Amino acid sequence: MGRWEPIVTQVWDTVVTPCDCCGQVVASRLWVAEVDGEEHRFCSTRCEELYATYVVPQRQGPVTDGA
Amino acid sequence: MTQIDPVQLTIINNSFVNICREMGITMTRTAFSPIFNEGLDFSCVLFDRNGNMIGQAEFCPAQLAASLFIVRWTVEELGVDSFEPGDVVLHNDPYRGGAHIPEHSVIRPVFHDGELWGFVANVGHLAEIGGKAVGSFAADATEVFQEGLRIPPVKIVSRDENNMDLWRLIMANHRTPRNTWGDLNAQIGSLRVAERRVIELLDRYGAEFVTQAAEELMDYSERWMRSEISAIPDGSYEFTDWMEDDGVVDEPVRFHVTVTIDGDRMIVDWTGSAPQVRGPINATYGVTAGAVYNAVFHLTDSAIPKNSGAYRPIYIIAPPGTVANVVYPGPSVGGNTETHPKLVDMVTGALAPVMREKVAAAEGASACNFLFGGVHPKTGEFYANYHLEGCGWGAKDYDDGNDCTIVVNGNCRNTPVEIFETRYPLETVEYSLIQDSGGAGRHRGGLGTRRIMRIGPGAEVTASALFDRTKGEFRAWGLEGGQPGGYGAIRVKRAGETEFRTFQEVYGTVSASKFTNIVLREGDEVMLDAPGGGGFGDPLERDRDAVARDLEEGIVSAGAARELYGWAAR
Repeated sequence: MGRWEPIVTQVWDTVVTPCDCCGQVVASRLWVAEVDGEEHRFCSTRCEELYATYVVPQRQGPVTDGA
Repeated sequence: MTQIDPVQLTIINNSFVNICREMGITMTRTAFSPIFNEGLDFSCVLFDRNGNMIGQAEFCPAQLAASLFIVRWTVEELGVDSFEPGDVVLHNDPYRGGAHIPEHSVIRPVFHDGELWGFVANVGHLAEIGGKAVGSFAADATEVFQEGLRIPPVKIVSRDENNMDLWRLIMANHRTPRNTWGDLNAQIGSLRVAERRVIELLDRYGAEFVTQAAEELMDYSERWMRSEISAIPDGSYEFTDWMEDDGVVDEPVRFHVTVTIDGDRMIVDWTGSAPQVRGPINATYGVTAGAVYNAVFHLTDSAIPKNSGAYRPIYIIAPPGTVANVVYPGPSVGGNTETHPKLVDMVTGALAPVMREKVAAAEGASACNFLFGGVHPKTGEFYANYHLEGCGWGAKDYDDGNDCTIVVNGNCRNTPVEIFETRYPLETVEYSLIQDSGGAGRHRGGLGTRRIMRIGPGAEVTASALFDRTKGEFRAWGLEGGQPGGYGAIRVKRAGETEFRTFQEVYGTVSASKFTNIVLREGDEVMLDAPGGGGFGDPLERDRDAVARDLEEGIVSAGAARELYGWAAR
């Protein structure tokens, strides 16, 4: 089960935080969840699901090239 | 819940689209710069209060996609409660959802009966925003600070009062501030028109009804898109392509994509692309995501209403710190013009084996960015302009590619000769289609263009360029035996000389296609060659009447007809 964590920045913090799954920038809060034994920071619960169903299996085995 | 019938849904959807179209008309009639009133390098969009896109019109695909992230980011960063009636937020930060730094978004909340209902937004490419290069397209930039003035989401208008301190700060950092004033106010003015139309719509049908219709339209688009994706065979499809260099290091740059179809969802993964490069061809997340959506919309039913629902089944992975997702402070100005179209073609190329009837070969995929500025000898005023050129598009299984068409991410128009000659000290010597530049095939790639301009009497012009597909094996690729398209090029013939040469040969630039701030003088001529599109199918199978017509019109030469198409005079 994950949790929402706010992103607290100072005025001089101009660097943005990307999602661990899709790479999209996250504006105000991160979805922090454990997947495959590691804690990750996601932009949304949708990305947690994508990470679990696509990224982790990708790392565990090669893509079947249909091309 | 009200029961909304399909006719009512269609009326609401068309109203959303027409509001966006009217914003665009307002822009073209009021903007100062040719990039808006001739080039149409802007986009107008409508969002609900939760940051979902509910309406768009036929503008620039790259900006339309980036607006998804820009508006959502802005609302989340500033907080939805921070918006008041009459506010306008300005934003051009490429790391906060933007496509590249010249594109400035203005966002205005729409209130109805005292409640925030949604947002209207306009994304436009300002022609000059400071930085190291005139025209703010530094082809050799190595960090964002060289690319122009970076603006995070800030209120440029509060309760319909201009924030003049902010305006003055912006004006002080742009080379053509009067144009900035006119163009930004054209963008802001289009928001006011849209706000008025949205309120009229809400008054007529009721806010609750329109909100429900917008949600049902998004669900409808999502169902339709899932149905389209489900029709593609499940599997993972890969494609690799290259750019010739990044403008700073003269080495090719690798892009890689894996497209996975998993039932009714599509996952587009850019893992395997090169690490972020020093030069400005890096794509922002907004560019990469926009390229994916652009490709998917080209491959699916064009009637799907373009709203956030259509995007839901599409998942994108763009690893930060790669050329597919630049991180601060990497440069990215060329990512939107040179990289985006190649990423579109890569998604198309990956799916070509299973969607052959819908895909096209690669397009020229270079906006042929040509930037120039200086003091006009007739007026004594400083000018600057951003120009982009049309290239050839890829052929399809059923037709030839389009000639002279702005890159797939732009949907922009070519700038007429008269604009150069009336507003700038540039005389047009030639503007033509390039013979044999369309890749040979059963269907032929579209032709690129050649534009030669001479620096006028008494003028000194500072020029920059960012092209691609000018050398080696980096031409637009063909499909199923189709040949690659012709090369692009930018060359110079100095006054008194007889031959055009590359800027690398004449001025020693690192890249022949990407350079910054070269000073051209009276009588010098610049040749802009846009690359052609790839062909589709075996050229020997091309319809003989089509070959004869191409010969008659000068689209192919006699030699090419003979050697590539096996043509023997009848």
